[in-house]
Amino acid sequence: MTVSLNSHIRKKANILKKIRLFFDAQGLLEVQTPSLLNTPTTDVYIDSVSAHVNQDIEPKTQYLHTSPELEMKKLLSQGSGDIYQICQVYRDNEFGEQNFNEFTMLEYYRLGFDTHQLMDDITSLINVLGVKGEMVKLSYAQAFDQFANIDILNTNFDDLKIVAKTHGLSTDFNWIEDLQIFLFVHLIEPAIKKIPICFIYDYPADQSALAKTEGRVAYRFELYLLGVEVANGYNELQNAQAYQQIFERENAKRKQLGKTFSEPDQDFLKQLENSLPQCSGVAIGIERLTSQIIKSD
Amino acid sequence: MAYYSTSQFKNGLKLMLDGNPCSIINNEIRKPGKGQASNRVKLKDLITGKTLEKTFKSGESLEGADVMELDMQYLYNDGSEWNFMDPSTFDQYVINDNNMDDVRGYLVEQDMCIVTLWNDNPISVTPPNHVILEVVDTDPGLKGDTAGTGGKPATMNTGVVVQVPLFIAIGEQVKVDTRTNEYAGRS
Repeated sequence: MTVSLNSHIRKKANILKKIRLFFDAQGLLEVQTPSLLNTPTTDVYIDSVSAHVNQDIEPKTQYLHTSPELEMKKLLSQGSGDIYQICQVYRDNEFGEQNFNEFTMLEYYRLGFDTHQLMDDITSLINVLGVKGEMVKLSYAQAFDQFANIDILNTNFDDLKIVAKTHGLSTDFNWIEDLQIFLFVHLIEPAIKKIPICFIYDYPADQSALAKTEGRVAYRFELYLLGVEVANGYNELQNAQAYQQIFERENAKRKQLGKTFSEPDQDFLKQLENSLPQCSGVAIGIERLTSQIIKSD
Repeated sequence: MAYYSTSQFKNGLKLMLDGNPCSIINNEIRKPGKGQASNRVKLKDLITGKTLEKTFKSGESLEGADVMELDMQYLYNDGSEWNFMDPSTFDQYVINDNNMDDVRGYLVEQDMCIVTLWNDNPISVTPPNHVILEVVDTDPGLKGDTAGTGGKPATMNTGVVVQVPLFIAIGEQVKVDTRTNEYAGRS
């Protein structure tokens, strides 16, 4: 084995060990949930990898999980308490230098936490893992105001297209959230490239995903390390009805984009008749995190 | 002209942007966790020489630019126009003196260089990485200094001024790196 490969696998093993120690010390329970599922994700821009099973008995299609989120929420609704999981996840149609069809995800949930408490907890965790440097927290609106002079929460779709046009960018978008994300990539990400630890929080409600919203904002955050997106967290929606609405909205968008879609996970919706306890959760990409830790060594 | 989609973007691809031909110098794909993929692209405007940063939606396409880079021999200039020849066809091309600002000082008659053509019209010239130039003016050489620790400005036969070691004298031929305008040794 080469020295560099040997050193890399040792570093990664060490990081995983430290993550487990960090959570054990705080009383979180490590869980494993199924990765072979009956329903694909409804997420508009994430595609499940299909798996064809039981070819010799009764052929059917299953789907590799793109994240353990829904399966872990089933446990939370059954009263599991604080839980974490480290697992491989799979996504189809991924490309680019930072995107792969398989990667390692750390997903964890803290009961009673709001997004700010969770961001503080993540900061402690990544400090323990060796991520150093200044931590900056900016709301989505502050970031757009500071780096692009745009009042992002109060700019409607038509006006935002005019902004894109003045920057010489495409205005061909179906939904305002896609244009917001596009402008974030073009205007904000280059501006936060030098910040070691940067949390962006309180996303526009149009980008709520599975986070709670209040007025124009969703209680959602992302973590960027030197401009690389590493984590995505929510103050989680709690009841089945709220999830059903989101799943239907996402499926309608997939349909409009000509993508495959299927009935949302009924088992999940049924389990959530016991509402989720109030909690915040986050998904962290372990390979991206590891490469930032190795870089700062 | 053909159209190129973002999935075909690569370094060196020549595209039309706002009416000017541009060359891709860096192409980075960005796929946010919850959003559509896009390409963050750095381009060089081949007319103005400026670097532009643009982001394209994945799937967007742009018209290709009819740009060719040909090896040509620099023949002569008459003060207002610079003349080049494609040695494979003997076709001659003329570039206006106004467009020669960055390279004027590195072109020596008969030397080969790269001429960029857009729609068959020359738009820029790239000199060789190293050229041999003659020193026509500099302070007198210091005999004892052969280590080349110090430096002094020297004017070359093409007009460009290059920092050279103290021992270089008028009339000597020196090698100059055209990318950095630095002295690269005695010829």
